[in-house]
Amino acid sequence: MNTNKKTLISGIIKTWGTLLGFLLLLTVFSVLRPDVFPTGRNLKNIIEQVATLAIVASGVTVVMITGDFDLSVGAIASLVGVVAALLMKSGMGTFASILIAMALGTGAGLLNGLLIAYGGLSAFVGTLATMTAYGGVALLISKGTTIFALPENFRVLGQGSMGFLPISVLIMALTVLAVALLLEQTTYGRRLYAIGGNEEASFLSGIRTRQVRLIAFGVSGFFASLGGIVLTSRLFSAHPQAGSPFMLNAAAAVFLGMTAFREGEANIWGTLLGVFIIGVMGNGLNILGINTYVQSILTGAIIIFAVLLSSLAKKRQR
Amino acid sequence: MNNKTQREVLRIEGLVKQYPGVRALKGVDLSFNSGEVHGLIGENGAGKSTLIKILAGIVKADEGIFRFDGEQAAITSSKDASRHGLCFIHQELNLVNYFNAMENIFLGHSYPHRFGPLVDWKQLKAQAQEILDTLGIELPLDIPVLHLSAVQRAMVAIARAFAVKGSIYFMDEPATALTDIEKEKLFAVVQNLKEQGKTVVYVTHNLEDILRITDRVTIMRDGQVVKRSATREMTKDSLISAMIDKSLDSAFPQRSGTIGKPLLEVKGLANSRLDGISFTVRSGEILGIGGLVGSGRTELLETLFGVRSLSSGSILLEGKPYHPNSPKEAIEQGVVLVPEERRKGGLVLSRSIYENITLMSLSEVSRFGFLNHQELHQRAEDAGKRVHLKASQYTHHVATLSGGNQQKVVFAKTVMRTPKVLMLDEPSKGVDVGARFEIYSIIRELASKGAAILVVSSDFNEVLGLADRILFIKDGSLASVQNNTGIDQEQYLHYCYGRTHA
Repeated sequence: MNTNKKTLISGIIKTWGTLLGFLLLLTVFSVLRPDVFPTGRNLKNIIEQVATLAIVASGVTVVMITGDFDLSVGAIASLVGVVAALLMKSGMGTFASILIAMALGTGAGLLNGLLIAYGGLSAFVGTLATMTAYGGVALLISKGTTIFALPENFRVLGQGSMGFLPISVLIMALTVLAVALLLEQTTYGRRLYAIGGNEEASFLSGIRTRQVRLIAFGVSGFFASLGGIVLTSRLFSAHPQAGSPFMLNAAAAVFLGMTAFREGEANIWGTLLGVFIIGVMGNGLNILGINTYVQSILTGAIIIFAVLLSSLAKKRQR
Repeated sequence: MNNKTQREVLRIEGLVKQYPGVRALKGVDLSFNSGEVHGLIGENGAGKSTLIKILAGIVKADEGIFRFDGEQAAITSSKDASRHGLCFIHQELNLVNYFNAMENIFLGHSYPHRFGPLVDWKQLKAQAQEILDTLGIELPLDIPVLHLSAVQRAMVAIARAFAVKGSIYFMDEPATALTDIEKEKLFAVVQNLKEQGKTVVYVTHNLEDILRITDRVTIMRDGQVVKRSATREMTKDSLISAMIDKSLDSAFPQRSGTIGKPLLEVKGLANSRLDGISFTVRSGEILGIGGLVGSGRTELLETLFGVRSLSSGSILLEGKPYHPNSPKEAIEQGVVLVPEERRKGGLVLSRSIYENITLMSLSEVSRFGFLNHQELHQRAEDAGKRVHLKASQYTHHVATLSGGNQQKVVFAKTVMRTPKVLMLDEPSKGVDVGARFEIYSIIRELASKGAAILVVSSDFNEVLGLADRILFIKDGSLASVQNNTGIDQEQYLHYCYGRTHA
């Protein structure tokens, strides 16, 4: 009886612990600053703040399901923002500029995939190298400066809204839904998870494992580009290092998400939860007036705590 | 033999282990003596693995008492286990691929040192050599174990268990990867240990091995000990009947159906591991592939499956050229492989039964890349039924199934493709006796429906019991092709060694 109870509790912690932690976080901030934190205005603010991260992290989720890793998303987002801005400044139409810049970013993702799935580089080394190179290209073509004075109609993606709903949040929602559909309803999603579980068995079952991994990097590149565009529009300027925080935050969100809902597998709803944990942490600590350096320390500690808790719960259940 | 010096080294009383939903051990009493080889057998799911995991300190028992040399003690960690002199040689070898044999042997033990913290490699090598010498094993010590053969790797794992001075050695299917000659070496090691007054607990599905080397045998069924006996009082049949509670009168299904037209014609197949192999398999025929471990049997299947490329030769499938460059191309043309190690090559353990069964057929049951969940579920259950898969829920993880049922999942996956040519590499490895017969029946049934079947197995009886003809391979080339009529085990071995007539 006692053992059953213990297993039940650890089962709950394993599946719902991260979500409970998130609710706890919301409660703590609400109690500490009831006048500012739990207001509709602030919550909307949080969602708008995390929209770009959610878009980028959705793509990283796809890569991490197969057990690969993508460090280059931040650099791709920055590069795409800079390229789009330069094209718009050169007189090209806003829509065409965005399309070209995003095609370039998606290509950069596919190049990652080519190097890693076909060239045999480890994902860590491969994307570390391309991150450095793509970041260099962004600095080179922008001459290391921020690009201002973009066309007014570009503002809508990051700052516009449809009635109550901000466009950036709409894009985030569509992204998450699209990735959820890809992972749960398509043969491609099934193959991704199979490769993540056992690459050799997947290969012997007739899956083109290298092609699947290549495409995953392409998907990651595409959503990094989309995130880069929305970010550039939101800031209404392009900086060659604007996307840098995505690199670690996206990975952190996916890792946090792996502790929720499913056992140790990257999954889109977990990633979304991870994104919100990171967003709420940043927002809440800001409201409490806590030093940004301390914020970094706390964010790191929370990730360690969540992953540790879920692995302990898992151990218990054996 | 030396009964005077025998004493009880370990006694286990009332061992109980409850998993969620399953009572894996229901009060097990066991005792082991010094200087004996003790066989422990039972079908998969009988509780052997749980028992061993508890003794190794990996899993905690709910109830039960352990007495080492009469003294009561608890086992709560692997440290406790090794302190009491328990050593384990597992089915899965757990070697560090990039370390050499010497480093693997001493993995987890302290290395000899010199000049303070520096490892004394010379001394380490000498110690490793000493262990290998006492065991009578020859191994290259300096190259990563990655480059060693399966047999050599098993030997490394065995040597590792002897690097600790233990008193009870638990061997869980240590001989699965070994040929008969290497098995003899292992048995000599076991004998050697026994003469030194140690206890060897030998766990295997191979009943002939049990009858040959053990002194006493304990049979488990359904979480309980159902029989303890001196081995000399047991026969293969009595062991089987104790294990499954019903005697099997024939271990292999009757042949049925007729052999038809040639399906697969192989001419002069050659690559880095194969040298000019030619043969033909017909529809409805089961072709056994005999030979020693490492002779190229698995490589032949891999080449036909598109995993390995061929440098020369030609293959015809139903009279048309067949040159697959990947498993995908092979599967699309109706050639399917059940790989040697199901946990490594056959199953995605972290996913559900249903997802595993459908993995090979996703494109067939989807539209524009979108899954048709309902039809996939339906087809998976149909395929599961065809192979008599016992699973309460197809959405459960495949890891929750017993070894036999896991293998049936791999079969269900291939059955869903209705293969023209089905290749089986060690189809009953790690499968218990009862499920084995069912798997043989599935193979027979597929053949009678017109598939051509190739079977590789290290178990002579399996090849002899199933095959219509047997192809013998030695060092990558064809030694002979024999009709499977009246070949006995001794002749079989002669053919493996390349003789063309016995």
